[in-house]
Amino acid sequence: MRDVAFGSYFPAESFVHKMDARAKILIAIAYMVAVFLVSAFHFLGFAACLLFVIIATCVSKVPFLRVIKSIKTIIFFVLFSAILQLFFNKQGTVLWWIITDVGLINAGFIVARIVLIVLGASLLTLTTSPVELADGIEGLLYPLKWIKFPVHEFALIMSIALRFIPTLIDETDRIIKAQKARGADFESGNIFKRAKALIPVLIPLLISSFRRADELADAMDSRCYAGSKNRTRYKKMKLTFRDLIGVLFVAGLIVGIVYLNGFYALSGLAEIAGAL
Amino acid sequence: MEIVAENLTFTYSAQTKRLAFRALDGVSVDIKEGEFFGIIGRTGSGKTTFVQHLNGLIKVQKDSGRLLIGDYDLTAKKCDYKSLRAKVGMLFQYPEHQLFAETVFDDVAFALRNFAPKLTEKEVTVRVKEALELTGLTFDRVKDKSPFDLSGGQKRRVAIAGVIVAKPEILVLDEPAAGLDPKGKREFLELLQRLHKDFVKTIIIVSHDMNLVAEYCTGAAVFSGGKILAAKTPKEIFSDGELIKESGLDLPLTASLTEGLKKRGVTADNDFTADGFVESVCRALNIGGKTR
Repeated sequence: MRDVAFGSYFPAESFVHKMDARAKILIAIAYMVAVFLVSAFHFLGFAACLLFVIIATCVSKVPFLRVIKSIKTIIFFVLFSAILQLFFNKQGTVLWWIITDVGLINAGFIVARIVLIVLGASLLTLTTSPVELADGIEGLLYPLKWIKFPVHEFALIMSIALRFIPTLIDETDRIIKAQKARGADFESGNIFKRAKALIPVLIPLLISSFRRADELADAMDSRCYAGSKNRTRYKKMKLTFRDLIGVLFVAGLIVGIVYLNGFYALSGLAEIAGAL
Repeated sequence: MEIVAENLTFTYSAQTKRLAFRALDGVSVDIKEGEFFGIIGRTGSGKTTFVQHLNGLIKVQKDSGRLLIGDYDLTAKKCDYKSLRAKVGMLFQYPEHQLFAETVFDDVAFALRNFAPKLTEKEVTVRVKEALELTGLTFDRVKDKSPFDLSGGQKRRVAIAGVIVAKPEILVLDEPAAGLDPKGKREFLELLQRLHKDFVKTIIIVSHDMNLVAEYCTGAAVFSGGKILAAKTPKEIFSDGELIKESGLDLPLTASLTEGLKKRGVTADNDFTADGFVESVCRALNIGGKTR
């Protein structure tokens, strides 16, 4: 359990690490939009996106393998969508058995889209610590205060959740061991048996989570925590030239893709609008 | 069952070099049946990693030494961990955090139903009753209660009952008295002695409490940086000034007092148990009679 690479922040001193979290989140979103803008039959756009990720990875000093590993978790999903396209797309001419040329292209298209998006997202989490990420999201959501959305509280909930994941993993590990020592068996039997075997782990885990929540609330109260009111920050977020370069870079990507697509991009935009 | 470890080594996160951490580094120790054995040392010295090897919660890594427990060879390719765990009971720190069932009865019976699924309900009841009463709880009063409605001390007793109900031959306890009040602690230690006398053969206890070690242990191993610095009787350990310094351990109260007396010119050689200390002081000062 200890080796679970969740969130998997990769600490390093690099250009990308030092960027403002708000800018990084925006750039990541812009990048994803760029990936969606690439329309079918224009694979050169994907090549541009890939190049973007490769350059960003180089600059971030994160090992390529770490970034590529992130695909592992969604490989099943990717294969499933590709297979659906391959075997059930009836458009175009049949190349072999029931596989059509359109199906083949669509399968490749979907794989490229998902993989590129996951690569970009994981690069964001690899170079931004959970705390920075939460701060960044808080910063970006700030305008929502106008409509009385509790931005600070929302961000706090998020950072507490992120902060407690490793703690809960440790706790789970301990409880599993304690129950194993009492002869609990999590590895054999059918799926129902295994699900039932988890009860002795889940209940203590739930109880300890409530206990922790109580303790945390007391600790916050005793430090006079009172929400966002009059609260100052230790680390002020500041936009720098790095963020400008990043924004220009992603803007270049989008312009390039729009140029490559020509007017196809317009239909791509319509597609996104339709999806939303 | 005798425990024999030879050159046992364990590395956490062995695959990733950057995070690899050697928690055990060539540990060899021999714990005979019938001992009340202490595992002492600072936090992070490998104590917990070692004891979790004893019932296969942590599996012996490849080419990392040998570990034999009675007839079980934990280094062999195939080892029946389930039956081993029935024989080597383990109680963790804050064991009350492992309670989960709706009633005390079901929680205590959990281990029994896992290890011996063939027992009839009647036999289970007899064993659960025995275990609960051993820990000083009244079976009829607690059996139908929810374990979460009990007091802290009672919860811990239920947790202990949930381990000894399987009648282990070896009982391993990791910091069992942590967080108990003085009275709870005293009762707990009495319980351990009672258990050691007529229920479990060997007790292995991880503890920071040197008074406990001096008073009860027949032998102890001093861990430091994943190695065993010494494995001998508490008397030998606490009279070895070098060893105490190197391992960063405290002295039990009796040993500190003996040392203080020595500085004042009173030599009281004793085994650092409370009785032994009193006896030796009386002898040295020529006062007091025999204990009543």
